[in-house]
Amino acid sequence: MSEEKKESGVLAQLFQTFFAKHWPVWVGGLTLGILNILLFAIKSPWGASGGINNWGANFYKILGISNFEGAASINTSLYGMLCVLIVVGAFAGALFSKEFAIRIPPIGELIKGFIGGGLMAIGATIGIGCTIGSFFSGVPALSGGAIIFTIGLFVGVIVALKYLMWEMEKHPSFSTGKSWVFLAGTGKKGDWQIWAGWIVTASMFVMAYIYSDNNAIMAWFIIIGLFMGLICQRSRFCIVKAFRDPFMTGEADGSVGVMAGLIVGLIGFTAIKYFGIGAGDASMRAREMTWVFSHFWLRGIIGGFIFGVGMTIAGGCAVGTLWRVGEGQVKLWAAALGFLLISPLSKEFIVPPIVKMLPHSMAFKNYLPDYLGYAGAFALVLAIILAWYVFVKWNEKTGKFSAY
Amino acid sequence: MENKIDQTLDCKGLSCPMPMMKLAKAFKGLNSGDVLEMLGTDPGTKSDLPKWCTKTGNSIIREDELEGGVFRFLILKK
Repeated sequence: MSEEKKESGVLAQLFQTFFAKHWPVWVGGLTLGILNILLFAIKSPWGASGGINNWGANFYKILGISNFEGAASINTSLYGMLCVLIVVGAFAGALFSKEFAIRIPPIGELIKGFIGGGLMAIGATIGIGCTIGSFFSGVPALSGGAIIFTIGLFVGVIVALKYLMWEMEKHPSFSTGKSWVFLAGTGKKGDWQIWAGWIVTASMFVMAYIYSDNNAIMAWFIIIGLFMGLICQRSRFCIVKAFRDPFMTGEADGSVGVMAGLIVGLIGFTAIKYFGIGAGDASMRAREMTWVFSHFWLRGIIGGFIFGVGMTIAGGCAVGTLWRVGEGQVKLWAAALGFLLISPLSKEFIVPPIVKMLPHSMAFKNYLPDYLGYAGAFALVLAIILAWYVFVKWNEKTGKFSAY
Repeated sequence: MENKIDQTLDCKGLSCPMPMMKLAKAFKGLNSGDVLEMLGTDPGTKSDLPKWCTKTGNSIIREDELEGGVFRFLILKK
């Protein structure tokens, strides 16, 4: 090692910009919003629960369970792969910033992770979508059902947060106990993580290149997924946080970050739908109805509620779970496992009887522009986001609704 | 110089939101001028804690990286 203090080169400075510190959440929100528009322009918007369901269906297919024989293998499923790449991208982001470590929490936390994951799976299959498909993408897609799903989420988060506080008060032993940390990248010794980060990133580009011959869309999904995972990890983009923190510590940054992404997405999605951009052979109407699911209103609100409870207990929504898996948080490994194991079962056995029970008027596709026109729908969604913004900022100052 | 420490909060292995919830709860039981030592491994705490301090008026008086991916904060109660 040379003795003199060297000024780091411009490229090293650039690297520092991205990986020395966490990014503000709104930077994550904006860039994720842009990538979400790109996904829609290429094919269809961002979603996460469908991909995790695909992982689980493949697991049961390997076990030879006949209900799941028809599941597309992960390497051919766009959303299955998108989820894989979010894990890998977060893994790369954590390595580049030497934040990767296998962190094993006390056993009570692992159980909560698994149960939370299972609840998210049930919520996502009943409510058709998760915090990504039916919120971060669904709300900009001008879906009335997504707004109802979001209300369900809110209620679920508040209830589960009450539970967490009760648990911490009455049963603190649940979240205390022996924990382990492996492979941490502290200090100079941890520099291997940066090299590992480059190897992981380069391999993903090679994989995208291999796909590009036969499946250009998949190649794009791979690269976009990789960046999405990395952005999530660096900005700690967390939708549970956005919903929960105003009611916990009163902090609003997480919420504002998510709103930034929603507004960018709203502008892009509205344009794509209005002009039918990228409709290809499909009809203009099919393009308009993309990511508008038949869950308005009861199906959405029940699903949203269960999902909200699950994600708060697990400490990560579908995508928050995925990127924390890549970062090495073992509680979220348990959550992902619960999610992927329960999701196909719920879809196969819990959802069909519920669907039979619900009349059409409680589970239909509600496309806001059908009722309000494009301008009206756009204005309504924007107004809801602004109202939420005013609420969290006001609450941040006054602490009226926060627990601490 | 070694700082005085009134209470230690071990959040190793825990992920969001448990460290911040435990911290906020522990702070309720402290007196003004007390120092809490927090040990943790969740990278999220590194951005959550300074924001929480700015909001609550408590201050971080020391931040260390320990071996094995553990970080340590000393936080002074307002």
